[in-house]
Amino acid sequence: MNKHLYHITLILSLFCILSCTPKQKEKKGKVQIVTTTGMIYDAVIHIGGDQVEAQALMGPGVDPHLYKATQGDLQKLQQADIVFYNGLHLEGKMGEVFEKLARIKNVAAISADLSDSLLRESETYPGTYDPHIWFDVALWADAIQSIRDQLIRYDSAHIDYYTQNANNYLQQLDSLDTAVKSEIATIPPSQRLLITAHDAFGYFGDAYDIEVKGLQGLSTLSEPGLKDISQLVKLIIDRKIKAVFIETSVSKKAINAVVQGCKESGHDVKIGGSLYSDAMGSFGEFEGTYIGMVHTNVQTIVNALK
Amino acid sequence: MDAIYIITTGSLVAIACGLLGCFLILRKMAMVGDAISHAVLPGIVLAFLISGSRDSFTMLLGAGAIGVLTTFLIEFFHKKGGLQSDASIGVTFTWLFALGVILISVYAGEVDLDQDCVLYGEIAYVPLDLWIGSNGIIYGPRSLYISGVVLVVIILFITLGYKELHLTTFDPAFASAIGISTSLWHYLLMSAVSLTTVSSFESVGAILVVALLIAPPATAYLLTANFKKMLWITVALSILTSATGYYLAVYLDGSIAGAMSTMAGLFFALAFIFSPVDGLIAKRRRQLYETSKN
Repeated sequence: MNKHLYHITLILSLFCILSCTPKQKEKKGKVQIVTTTGMIYDAVIHIGGDQVEAQALMGPGVDPHLYKATQGDLQKLQQADIVFYNGLHLEGKMGEVFEKLARIKNVAAISADLSDSLLRESETYPGTYDPHIWFDVALWADAIQSIRDQLIRYDSAHIDYYTQNANNYLQQLDSLDTAVKSEIATIPPSQRLLITAHDAFGYFGDAYDIEVKGLQGLSTLSEPGLKDISQLVKLIIDRKIKAVFIETSVSKKAINAVVQGCKESGHDVKIGGSLYSDAMGSFGEFEGTYIGMVHTNVQTIVNALK
Repeated sequence: MDAIYIITTGSLVAIACGLLGCFLILRKMAMVGDAISHAVLPGIVLAFLISGSRDSFTMLLGAGAIGVLTTFLIEFFHKKGGLQSDASIGVTFTWLFALGVILISVYAGEVDLDQDCVLYGEIAYVPLDLWIGSNGIIYGPRSLYISGVVLVVIILFITLGYKELHLTTFDPAFASAIGISTSLWHYLLMSAVSLTTVSSFESVGAILVVALLIAPPATAYLLTANFKKMLWITVALSILTSATGYYLAVYLDGSIAGAMSTMAGLFFALAFIFSPVDGLIAKRRRQLYETSKN
C-alpha cells in the first residue's frame, strides 16, 4: 500500500512541477477586454476604438445558454482588464461565476444598470427576466452606456475619446431605432405577427409594435407541445400570415412542423428566412455587426410579411 | 496556478467517482451515473418552483434529493419487481427525465431552466469560481473544497465499510448468511454515488462525471483480478487521466472535460489491447501457445 502511495505522490508532484512554469504577463498599452456575446463585442469596439483590444468568447451561431468554455477562454478571462457580459441569466451558469468574480475583478453585466421597469419580467415568477435585451435598439443603447462608464473608470486618461465614440455610436443606434420603427410600420397591422422558433423576440415585439409568438419557451429544452403547434397553425390560417421564421442558433425542426401543419390545412406558409437571434453573423460581414444584424433581421421580416 | 487547480479538482472528482465506479461495475450498475444526470431534471424544476431562485445551492438541493430518489427507485424496481438492474435503471431515469420535461413545459416554459444552464458546471471555470470570505480573503476555488470534502467522505465510507461493501458486492448470499443487510449497504453505496455525482455535476459538468465513473474502473478491471489492486489502479488512472486530459485540452485549445474523457477512453483502449491479463495481445498469445502445444 505504501509503495502505491509513494508512486501516486510522485506522479502528482511531477505534474505540479510541469504545470508551474511561470507565464509572464505582458502589459500592453491597450485595455484588454473580453466579452461573452458578439453584440457586446461590437459595442465595445465602437466605443473603445483603438484604445482597446477586445475578444468575444462566443462566435457566430452559438447558443449562449449552452456555451461551454475552452481552456483558451479561461486564459483570456484571466488576462482581461475588463470582462463584459449580458447578465439576466443569458449566459446560464457562466453568469453566476461572473457575478462572484466581480468582487475581485473588473467584471460588469451590461444589463445591471437598467431599471427593472424596462425589462420584461416573467409574470408567474417575479425576479426572472427575459435576457434578450438587444432586440430593442433603444434599450440596448441604454445598456451599452455602462461599457462607456466602465472604460472611463478604468482608463480615465481617455475620457474624451470614449465619450465622443459613445456619442457617435449612440447616435447611429438612435437612427437605427427610427429606421426599424418606420420599416415595421410598412407591414399591414393584421400581418404584424412574428412567429419564431423560441421566445427571443419579446423586446422586439414590445418596441416595434409587432405581435410575437415563440413556438418554444425561453428554455431551449422545453419542447413545443402538440397543442402549441396546432394552436399556432390555426392562428396562422386565421390571420392569413405569409411566413414564419427560423433562427440561426436554434434547431428548425419545430418550425418545420408548423409549416407542414399549415400545408395540410391548405394554407401555404413559407419560411420567411433565418433570423439572427442569440448570435450574430460572421465577424467581418455586415450581419456580423450589431447594426447589420438588426437591419438584416428587419429586412427579412418586412420582405416576408408585407 | 490554473493548471494545478484544474488538475487537482479533476483528480479529486475522478478518484471519488472511480472508487465508487469499481463497486458499480462489479454490481452491473455502471450506467447509474448517466441515469442520475438525466433524472435530476424534475428536482431542479421543483426546487425552482418552490424557491423561485436559480442559484446553485437551491439547484443542488433539488438535484441531490431526486438523485437519491433515483437510486432508491432503481433498487426498488430491481428487488421488488424482479426487474434486471439495467432495465430498472432505464425505466427510472427516462420516467423522471420525462417528468422534468413536462414540468418545464407546463409550469416554467417562460424561464430558462435545464440542467445545462443551471446545474452543470464546467471544469474550465474552476479557477474563476473562487470562495471569497466576507472580509475579502480569497481562499481558492470553491469546487476544490467541495470535491475535497466529497472525496474524504467517500474514502471514509469505503474504508469503514470495506468488508461489508466487498462481501455484498461479490457474494450477497454469504453476506446475508452472516447477517449483513445487502439492501442497507446497497442503499448506502447508492446514496454515496448520488452525493458524489450530483456535487460533481455542479463542479465539473456531467459528461466528465459519467465518463470518470466508468472508464477508469473499467480499465483497472482489465488490468487486474484483485479487487484491492483494482481500487489502487483506478486512483492512479484517475490522476493520470485528469493531468494528461488537461494538457491535451491546452494543446488543442478545446474543452477540458472533453479532453479528459477522451484520455480516459484512450487508456481503456490501451488496456483492452495490451493488458497482460485480459488484453487482446495476451489472449492471442495464449491461444497460439495452446494450439502449438496440441
